[in-house]
Amino acid sequence: MVGNPNVGKTTIFNHLAGRTQKTANFPGTTQEAHIGAVAGHTLIDMPGLYGLELDAPESSLCRGVIEGSTSPEGTRALPPDTLLIILDATNLVRGLALAAEVLGRGLPSVVVVNLIDDAHRRGIHVDAEKLERATGVPVLLTSAKTGEGLGEVSRLMSRARRATLPPLESRDAIEAWADETYAEIASATPDSGLTDDGLTDRLDRAFTHPVLGVLTFALAMTGLFWVVFKLASVPMDFIDLIFATAGSWVAGVLPDGAISSLLTDGVIAGVGGTVIFLPQIVLLFFLIALLEQTGYLARAAFVIDRLLRPFGLPGHAFIPLLSGHACAIPAIMSARAVPDRRDRLATIMAIPFMSCSARIPVYVLLTVLLFPESPGMQAIAFTGCYVLGAAAGLLTSLAMRRTILRGPSRAMALELPPYRVPDVVGGARLAASRGWLFLRKAGTVILGISIVLWWLGTYPVASATPEAMSLREQASVVEFDEANAMLETADVLDARHQAASSFLGRIGETVQPVFAPLGADRQLTIGILASFAAREVFVATMAVQVAGTDDTEDEGVFEAVAGATRDSGGLVFDLATSWSMLVYFVLAMQCLPTLVVTAREAAAGRGGWKWAALQFGWMSVVAYVGAAIVFAAAGGWGGGA
Amino acid sequence: MTQPVPLTQLKRGQHATLASTSLPEADAASLRALGLKPACELTLCRSGQPCIVSVVSGGCRCRIGLSRELADRVMVSAQS
Repeated sequence: MVGNPNVGKTTIFNHLAGRTQKTANFPGTTQEAHIGAVAGHTLIDMPGLYGLELDAPESSLCRGVIEGSTSPEGTRALPPDTLLIILDATNLVRGLALAAEVLGRGLPSVVVVNLIDDAHRRGIHVDAEKLERATGVPVLLTSAKTGEGLGEVSRLMSRARRATLPPLESRDAIEAWADETYAEIASATPDSGLTDDGLTDRLDRAFTHPVLGVLTFALAMTGLFWVVFKLASVPMDFIDLIFATAGSWVAGVLPDGAISSLLTDGVIAGVGGTVIFLPQIVLLFFLIALLEQTGYLARAAFVIDRLLRPFGLPGHAFIPLLSGHACAIPAIMSARAVPDRRDRLATIMAIPFMSCSARIPVYVLLTVLLFPESPGMQAIAFTGCYVLGAAAGLLTSLAMRRTILRGPSRAMALELPPYRVPDVVGGARLAASRGWLFLRKAGTVILGISIVLWWLGTYPVASATPEAMSLREQASVVEFDEANAMLETADVLDARHQAASSFLGRIGETVQPVFAPLGADRQLTIGILASFAAREVFVATMAVQVAGTDDTEDEGVFEAVAGATRDSGGLVFDLATSWSMLVYFVLAMQCLPTLVVTAREAAAGRGGWKWAALQFGWMSVVAYVGAAIVFAAAGGWGGGA
Repeated sequence: MTQPVPLTQLKRGQHATLASTSLPEADAASLRALGLKPACELTLCRSGQPCIVSVVSGGCRCRIGLSRELADRVMVSAQS
C-alpha cells in the first residue's frame, strides 16, 4: 500500500488488517512498516512518500519493496502481487504523479481515491470510471472517515491489473500526464480551491513566530510533561502495589531459600522495576501522537529547527529528543524520522543525555538530601538536572558535527498538514506499540541484569554477625516490643554484612579508588556499579546496603540512607558527594538496553557497536569529569572512603 | 508577469508563479514532488524562517514550509 503522507492510508490499513497488524523492520535499514493479513495475503503499509525516485529513505525503501529486493522482517522479499495506491481526492495532481511512477513499474495495481467526503465539501467531484480508463486499473472512491467504499477495497484488490499508461520517461512527462488526467477526471466548482485559510494563516504565523512560537512551544511542552507526570503517577502506584503484593505472596508461599530469593528479589523486582515506567512512556507517546495529528508539530518543527541548528541538529530531531525524557529506547528508534544520516547519528548520540524516567528516583533522593527543608530548592535542582542533561546532549551533538560527523545538513522543507482533530484511537495504537517495544527490549535485558545483580549480591552467603546473634539471644528474654526492635536491628546488621561480603560488595571495595575523586566510598561505589546496567536500581541498592531492605517507600529507610556513614565515619551523602552524584547520574550512560538499541539503529546493522561503544565511552568520561569537578568545587577534597 | 525574484522577496498574501529554482538536484526534486513544480501558482503566507507558501493550483492544494535558505533560491514571478 503506497501513497503520499496524510492521505488516510493508515485508516484504510487498520480497516483491512484489523487485529492482525504488527510493526516490522526492514533489514539493514532503520525504517519500519505495518504489516497485516488480508484475505490470505500479507498487506504491507509502506511509509508515506512524495516520489518514488527521490533521495529519501522512504523512496528507496518503496523501490526496493516493489522490485522485490527487500521486504519487512518475517516476510519474503518478492515483488508484490498487487499494489494498492491511495490518493487524496482533494490533492489529486500530486497523488497522480506518484501513481504514474508506481503504475509504471508494471505490477498489477488498483487505485483508491480517499477523502472523497472532503472533496465533495470543497466542490470537487472525481469520476472513477474516467480515471479507470486513463490508468487501465480498477478505481474506487472511499472516505475512511465515513466508511464509504471501505468494504469494497479487498474485493477491488482481487481485480488488480497492469496499468495501460503511455511511456513517461521524465518528471516533466509525469507531471504533464498528471495534469491532463486531472483535467479529464475531476470537475471543481469555481471557488473550490479558495476556501478560507485565514484561520490557518493566523495559526501558522503564531506558531512559527520567533517569540510567540517559542513561547507556545515551551507552554505546550510544559503542559505535556505536567500531564504525563501527573496522570502517570496513578497507574505507577498501582503497578508498584501489584508487584509488591506479588513479591510478598511468593515470599509467603515458598520456603526461605535461593528459589524464593531469586523470584522475589531477582525476577519480580526486576520485572516490576521495568514495568513501572510503562505508564509514563505510553502516555508521552500518546500525547506526542495526538499533537502530531493536530498539525501543530509540523509547525513547531520549524521553530525548533531554528533553536537546534546551531547545535548541528535539525527540527526533525526534536520529537526523538523529547521522547528521550520518557525513555531513550523508543526515542532512539524515533530518530528514524530524521532524514539525513549525519543528523540522525548526532540525534542518537544526544538522546541518552535527556533525563529519562529511570533517573527520577535518583534525582528525588539526591535533591531531597541536598535540600531537606526546602521543596522550592529541590524543584529548582530537579529542573536543573533536566537542563544540564539537555545542554550536554546539544553540546555533544555540536562537538560531533564539528568532528566525526562533519558535513552539511539538508535544509528543511515539509508539507504542513491541515489542522485537524486528532485520531485518539490511532494515537493509542501507536503508543501501545511503542510501549510494547519498550517492554520487549528493556524488559528482557533488565530482567537479565536484575538476575545477575541478584546473584552477585546474594552470593556467597554470609553467616550471621556476632552482633546480630547476640541481639537475637537478648531478644528472647525481653519484652515483646523491645524484642521486635532488637530483631529488626539484627536483620539490618546481617543484611549490611551480606551486602559487603557478597561478590558485588567485594567488587565495590576493589573498584572504590576509581570513584574516590567523585566522593564515593565502598557503599556508593557498589550503588554506581549496580546501576551501570540500569540506573533505576541505584536507590534500592543503596537502601539494601545501609538499611538492609530495598523498600525505598519507607520513610525510615530514607532516613537510614540520608544518615548512612562511611567506614571512615563521615556521611556517605555529604554535601560535596551528593552534588557530584547528582551530576554523575545526569550525565552517565547507565542503561545497557539503550546501548543495544544504539548499536542497532546507529548504522542499520553495519558497525553499530562502534557507535554504542563511543556513546558509552563519551558519556562515561563526561560524567566522571563533570562529577569530579563538582565534587572538588563543593569542597570535597579530602573526602573519599 | 514581472522579473523573477526570490520567494523571500514576496509580500505576505502576494500571489506568484514559480519560475525556476537554483537548488541542488535532491532539494529541487523534493520540492517538486511536494507540489512546488514549474509554473505552479502559489501564495506567500509567511516570509522569513520558515517561509510558508500555499499552493492552490488545479488539482494541487497543499501548504509547504521551507527554510529561508531554500526559499532564497526559489525564483518566482509575482502576479500584479
